[in-house]
Amino acid sequence: MNGRGPRALKPPVRPARPSPAPGRRSLVLAAVILGALMLALQLWLLTTALDLYLAGEGGSVWQLAAASAIVFAGGVLALLLTRSQEPPA
Amino acid sequence: MRLPLRFGRGRDDQPWRQEFPYAIDADEAIGRRHFLTLAVLTSGAVLLGTVGLALRGLSDDRRRGSPRAIGRADALEVGEAAYFTYPGADDGAVVVRLGADRFVAYSQKCTHLSCAVRYRPEKRDLHCPCHEGVFDIETGEPVAGPPRRRLPRIALRQEGSMLIALEEAP
Repeated sequence: MNGRGPRALKPPVRPARPSPAPGRRSLVLAAVILGALMLALQLWLLTTALDLYLAGEGGSVWQLAAASAIVFAGGVLALLLTRSQEPPA
Repeated sequence: MRLPLRFGRGRDDQPWRQEFPYAIDADEAIGRRHFLTLAVLTSGAVLLGTVGLALRGLSDDRRRGSPRAIGRADALEVGEAAYFTYPGADDGAVVVRLGADRFVAYSQKCTHLSCAVRYRPEKRDLHCPCHEGVFDIETGEPVAGPPRRRLPRIALRQEGSMLIALEEAP
């Protein structure tokens, strides 16, 4: 006991959110899986770029950077799409 | 006993709901969206790394060294090797006489984890003792073990009986 009496209960942080509509969860899950795969592809591109750079063939790393940029743009697009599908809080 | 893990919508007026206002399904959806956001941020970081390498690849000339005499050519018999330092005083290198007028020189730094490679005359290759990496003596390309990149090659020129190292290129 610390002598300060019973602690007051905290007020709710935010109201309960409804369950997602049918299909929306699948959409987000598909975006997450695709995002993880694309991230793995990007990591592979990065390691290949590092290998080329260390081998003295850094001039061709731009092609890998361009591919990585396309993957990133796709990720941003997927994020924006899922955000637009998000129900209002 | 069944735990009340799934909360129905019709219970929002319950007192415990005011204290714990999260629907477990909505929590999962939030987790996935947050994961996606983090994945895109990580993707951006990886992209920055790749672009940084591309920029360095354009601006960074990785040739090193300046012409310097490394020894007498006639001091080596065919099939023999000698060790020297190039381009810096701490950069080990090896020169091998492959024929009467054929010399090759490589950096000794293994492209796997930078151990010093040694010439094996009985197998005519360059061997890294740390992880059993083997490099072709003619080209410097890896032929066995973990290394994936060739050894940096040192360009040579023969002037009379002297061997001159010109530059090291990856």
